[in-house]
Amino acid sequence: MQSMKLQHGMERELCLSVCVIQLWMESATRKLQGDTRAASLLQLKGEGGGLVVLLHDAASRETRKRSSERPAHRGDRGIIIMSAIRKQLSFQILLLFISCRNINTKTLGATAPPLDPTAPLQKLERSYVLKGDSHTEKVELLNPVSLVLMCTWTGSQNKPTNITGFWSKDGKEIENSRVTVQLENKQYNLKRTFSIASEADLGSYSCDFGGEAKINFVLAVPQMGDERDKPIVSYLGDSVVVPCKLDDSKPTPNTWNWYRANETGKEQIIAGQKFSIKNDEKKTKLVIHDLTADDSGLYYCGAVYGVGITMGRVELKVISFFEPLKPFIAILVEVIILVAAILLYEKSRSKKDYTAAGHLGKITDQRRALR
Amino acid sequence: MSPAPADPLEYKPLDGGWGWMVVIGAHISIGFAYATPKVLSIFFNEIQQDLGSSFSEIALISSIMLAAMYAGGPVSSAMVNRFGSRPIVMLGGLLCGVSMITASFGTSIIYLYFCIGVIGGCGLSLNLNASLIIISKYFLKRRPLANGLAMAGSPVFLCVLAPFNQYLLVNFGWRGSLLILGGLMLHCCVAGALMRPVPLPCKPPSYALEKTVEEQPNSGNTKLKKRFVKNAKKFLDFSLFKDRGFVIYLIGSIMFIFGAYAPIVFLSAYAKSQGVEEYSAAYLLSIMGFVDMFVRPGTGLIANSKLVRPRIQYFFSFALVFNGTCHLLCPLIKSYAFLVVYAVFFGIGFGMVFALIFECLMDLMGSQRFPRAVGLVTIIECFPMLLGPPAAGLLVDVYHDYKYLFLMCGSVILTGGLFLFVMNIYNYHMLDKERQKQVRASEVEMKLTPQAGTGQTEPEAKERNVALRDPENTETTD
Repeated sequence: MQSMKLQHGMERELCLSVCVIQLWMESATRKLQGDTRAASLLQLKGEGGGLVVLLHDAASRETRKRSSERPAHRGDRGIIIMSAIRKQLSFQILLLFISCRNINTKTLGATAPPLDPTAPLQKLERSYVLKGDSHTEKVELLNPVSLVLMCTWTGSQNKPTNITGFWSKDGKEIENSRVTVQLENKQYNLKRTFSIASEADLGSYSCDFGGEAKINFVLAVPQMGDERDKPIVSYLGDSVVVPCKLDDSKPTPNTWNWYRANETGKEQIIAGQKFSIKNDEKKTKLVIHDLTADDSGLYYCGAVYGVGITMGRVELKVISFFEPLKPFIAILVEVIILVAAILLYEKSRSKKDYTAAGHLGKITDQRRALR
Repeated sequence: MSPAPADPLEYKPLDGGWGWMVVIGAHISIGFAYATPKVLSIFFNEIQQDLGSSFSEIALISSIMLAAMYAGGPVSSAMVNRFGSRPIVMLGGLLCGVSMITASFGTSIIYLYFCIGVIGGCGLSLNLNASLIIISKYFLKRRPLANGLAMAGSPVFLCVLAPFNQYLLVNFGWRGSLLILGGLMLHCCVAGALMRPVPLPCKPPSYALEKTVEEQPNSGNTKLKKRFVKNAKKFLDFSLFKDRGFVIYLIGSIMFIFGAYAPIVFLSAYAKSQGVEEYSAAYLLSIMGFVDMFVRPGTGLIANSKLVRPRIQYFFSFALVFNGTCHLLCPLIKSYAFLVVYAVFFGIGFGMVFALIFECLMDLMGSQRFPRAVGLVTIIECFPMLLGPPAAGLLVDVYHDYKYLFLMCGSVILTGGLFLFVMNIYNYHMLDKERQKQVRASEVEMKLTPQAGTGQTEPEAKERNVALRDPENTETTD
C-alpha cells in the first residue's frame, strides 16, 4: 500500500508508515474477526468526521503545495486512492500520529538496548621480549577484554630453525595450541588471542618455547593493598566499623560486597538491621551493630570489577568487658599495696625517730636536771 | 623590701638519702607527663574509625592535653606552695587515672576532648610542676644530676609505653587499652607517696603576719578587689619579669620550644620523602629516644661537675647552639646512614637541652622563687609549643620541601642559643658587680656587728644571694 508521506522529518515518515501498515494489518484482521473496535471506528467515523475533514484538508493543502512545486498529478492520485482508506483509518491514524510523536521522543531517551553478547570485546595487547630463561609479567584487568598475548624469544646458544611452542593456562597445556615456530630475524614469536570474560578466565597464561623458555602472564584484578594482619577488637553489645581500602593507585571498582567466612566458604552479607554497608569509591565500611560472640571471625570485602572480584581480609575479635578489667584490677591492687607500704614504712620510721628523739630528749633533760 | 629574714634556707637540703627515692618518684611522674600525649597517638587510628571523625579532629586530643598540661602550671605551683608536693602528685595521678578510665567508655569525640584532653592534661600538669618543685627542695649540691635523672623519665617511658600500647591495642582494642593505661597512670600516686614532705623545723612567723594582713577589716569592694589581686598574684607572679636573668631565660626557652618539636613531628615524613621506607623512618625516632635516655643523666653528671656548675647557663646556651646547628645541617643529608647519624646527634642535643632546661631555671631563681617561676614559664611556653609544629607544617605546605622546615627550626634555636650566650655574659657581669657591692656592704656591716662566719659552699652562697634579691621572701615553703 502506498504509505502516506508527509514532508516533515524522516522519523515521522517512517514512524507513520510503520504505524499505518500496522494499523492497516490490524484493522484488516479485525474486520475479518468482526471486532467491536472496527464497529466503534465506524461510529467514530461519524463523530470524527470533522477530524477526517481536517486531515483531508491538511493533506489537500500539502498536495496543493506539492502541485505548486511539481505539476505532477501523482500526489493527487495518491490522495484520491487514500481517501477511501483514510475514512476508516483516519481517526486511528491521528491518534497514532500523536502517540507516535510521543513514542518518537521517548525512544530517544529510552534505555539503550541490552548489550549484544556477541558484540566485540575491548582489545588489549600485551607483549614481552624474553632474553633469559623465564619471566613473569603481571597484567591487571578490570573488564572483559579480548587479550592478545605476544611472546618473543631471542633464543638460546644454538638456534634451531624450528621449535615447538605451546600455550598453557595455570600449568595445564591448552589444547591445540602446539605450533611450530620459525626463526624470524633471530627471534621466535608466539601470539595468541584469549577472550577473558569472567573470573574463570583469569589466571596464569604461559607461552612455552620448546620447554626451554617460558613467559608467564599473570592475569588478575587489581589486588588489595597490604592486608591488615592484626585483628580488630571490639566488645559485646558495642558496634564496630570494619574498614577496607583500596590503594589510591588502583582503579575504582564498580561496587563493593562484603562476605562472612563460614564452614562452606564465603557467604554474602546483606545490609539490614544488624549490618550496614557504606561505600565510598575506593573505601568501604561495614558497620556491625549489637555485637555478639558469634560475630567474631573472618570478614572479606570484595571489590567488584567487570571481570572479577578482588578480596581483602579482616579479622574481628569480640571480647567481653571482663577481659581488660582483670589486668586493670590487678594493677589497681598493686598500686594500693605500694602506696600503703610506702606510707606505713614512713610512719614506722617517723615513730622510731620520735621515740629516739624522745629518748634523747629524756637523756638531755636528765642531764640538765643533774646539773 | 621586706625586713631581712632569717637564713632563707631553714634546712639543709638532703642531697641524697631519701632524695634518691624522690628522684625515682619524679622520674615516674615526669615520664608519664611527657610521654602520654605522644603515645596516645597510637590509638588514634582505631578511635578515628570507631567514632567516624577526621584525623585532625582526633589529633586535637593530644594538643588539648599538652595545652592543658602547660597552662595548668601556675595553678599547680600555687597548690604545691599551699599543700606540698605529695598530695598534689597523688591528686594528679588520680585525675589522670580517672580521665583514662572514663575515656574508655567514650562514644563521641567531644567526650574524649574533655576526658583525655582537659582532665588528663590537668592531672599531668599537677604531676609535672610538683615533681620539679620537690627536686629543687631536696637537692642543691647534686641538683643537676637529680634533674637529669628525673627528666630522663620522658624518653624511658616513651620507649616503654610505645610498644606496650601496641600490644594492648592488639589484645584489647582501644577501649580496653585506655582502661589499662588509666590503671598504669595510677602509679603516679605511688610516685607521690614517695615524695615525703621536707621537714620544716618550725612554721616561719611571716605566715602569721600574712594571715593578720588578710583579716584586716576593709570596706566592701576594695576588700574583694584586694583579695582577688592577691589570689591572682599567688598564681601568676608578674614581678618576676623584673628579674633580668628570668627574662633572658624566658626568651631563650621560648625560641627553643618553638623550633624543638617540629623536627620530631616531621622527621619520619622527611625520611620517607628522601626514599627511606616506612619502618626504617619510624626507627629513626626510636633511635633518637634511645640516645636521649642516656644523654639526660649524662648531661646532669657533666653539669654537676666543678668546672661546669658555676657556668651552667653557658652550657645551656651551648646545648641550644648544638641543637640548632644539627637541624641546619639536616637538609644536606640525603642517605639513610647519615639520617641515622642525624638522629643520634638530634637525640644528644635534645637530651642536653631538656636535662638543663629546668636546672637553669632553678639556678637562676633559687628554690624559693622556683615554684612561681616554673608556673609562669610553663604557661608562657604553651604558646610556642602549640604554634611551632603547625607553623612548620605551613612551610612544608607552601614550599613543598622539608628543607625550609629544618632551616627555620635550626635558625630559631641557634639564634636563641646565641642570644642566651651573649646575654648571659652581660648578666653574669652585672651579677658580679652587684655581688661586689653586697660584699662591700656586708663587710661594713660585719665591722659594726660581729657575726660567726657561716661556712657556705658556692651553690649555697648563691642560693642565699638569690633569695636575698627576692622581694617577696615571706611565702611558706614545704
